[in-house]
Amino acid sequence: MRTRVLSFLNQWRGTAKEAFENVSIVAKFLCLLHVTDRYIISSTHVQGPSMLPTLNLTGDVILAEHLSHRFGKIGLGDVVLVRSPRDPNRMVTKRVLGLEGDRLTFSADPLVGDSSVSVVIPKGHVWIQGDNLYASTDSRHFGPIPYSLIEGKALLRVWPPEYFGSLR
Amino acid sequence: MLPTLNLTGDVILAEHLSHRFGKIGLGDVVLVRSPRDPKRMVTKRILGLEGDRLTFSADPLVGDSSVSVVIPKGHVWIQGDNLYASTDSRHFGPIPYSLIEGKALLRVWPPEYFGSLR
Repeated sequence: MRTRVLSFLNQWRGTAKEAFENVSIVAKFLCLLHVTDRYIISSTHVQGPSMLPTLNLTGDVILAEHLSHRFGKIGLGDVVLVRSPRDPNRMVTKRVLGLEGDRLTFSADPLVGDSSVSVVIPKGHVWIQGDNLYASTDSRHFGPIPYSLIEGKALLRVWPPEYFGSLR
Repeated sequence: MLPTLNLTGDVILAEHLSHRFGKIGLGDVVLVRSPRDPKRMVTKRILGLEGDRLTFSADPLVGDSSVSVVIPKGHVWIQGDNLYASTDSRHFGPIPYSLIEGKALLRVWPPEYFGSLR
């Protein structure tokens, strides 16, 4: 009886080894995928009217890299993925229009009159603004945001295919 | 953060799960990325959540000038326990909740102060 159980287990030993090796390859791949997606480069679906005409209203898929902001290489004019200061669970896509120390003058309400507001961006903060001034909630509403809220820089658009390429 | 944390330096254990689930509450000692310097982490206490109205003394050494503030949505108010030697939300305003990176659990060094932070 015992020898039958042992020989049964021996038969399955080779298969078990193969299964384990395959599972560990998949596990390693998933880890690599997670690290790449989170810390190196990832694809994001962005939608909304705030970045017209640069980004489409109905939604685009863009590739964003997560390295530049760690090395301080975010500059003026970059389209960045930022964690919303009003809602920690939301990511927003805006353009960086001011760095720390810059003085910015903007129109408080682009639809009404010419009231100007002048602001100096404090240390460690940046000014983000959507390209579509009439339909964007950005630094003109919630002020300059801490640099650490930046989570990625947009590289290029991959979908829809007729708009493939860099964002200009 | 005197007298809660020592001047000469402590080692504390901090967990990085609570802030992801929104379980940071009033009175928690948290590790926060400084809004003035993205490369620095600071340890402060949460003294206000979004929607709260706070009244504080603009300068605790000089007079009684009070400032009243409502904490906007998605922000928290952090303050050091040592009001006279802390740069915190009384200086740079409420910070976005996403800057919180961890919650202090307990102190592990020095051994005579081992235990929770009270």
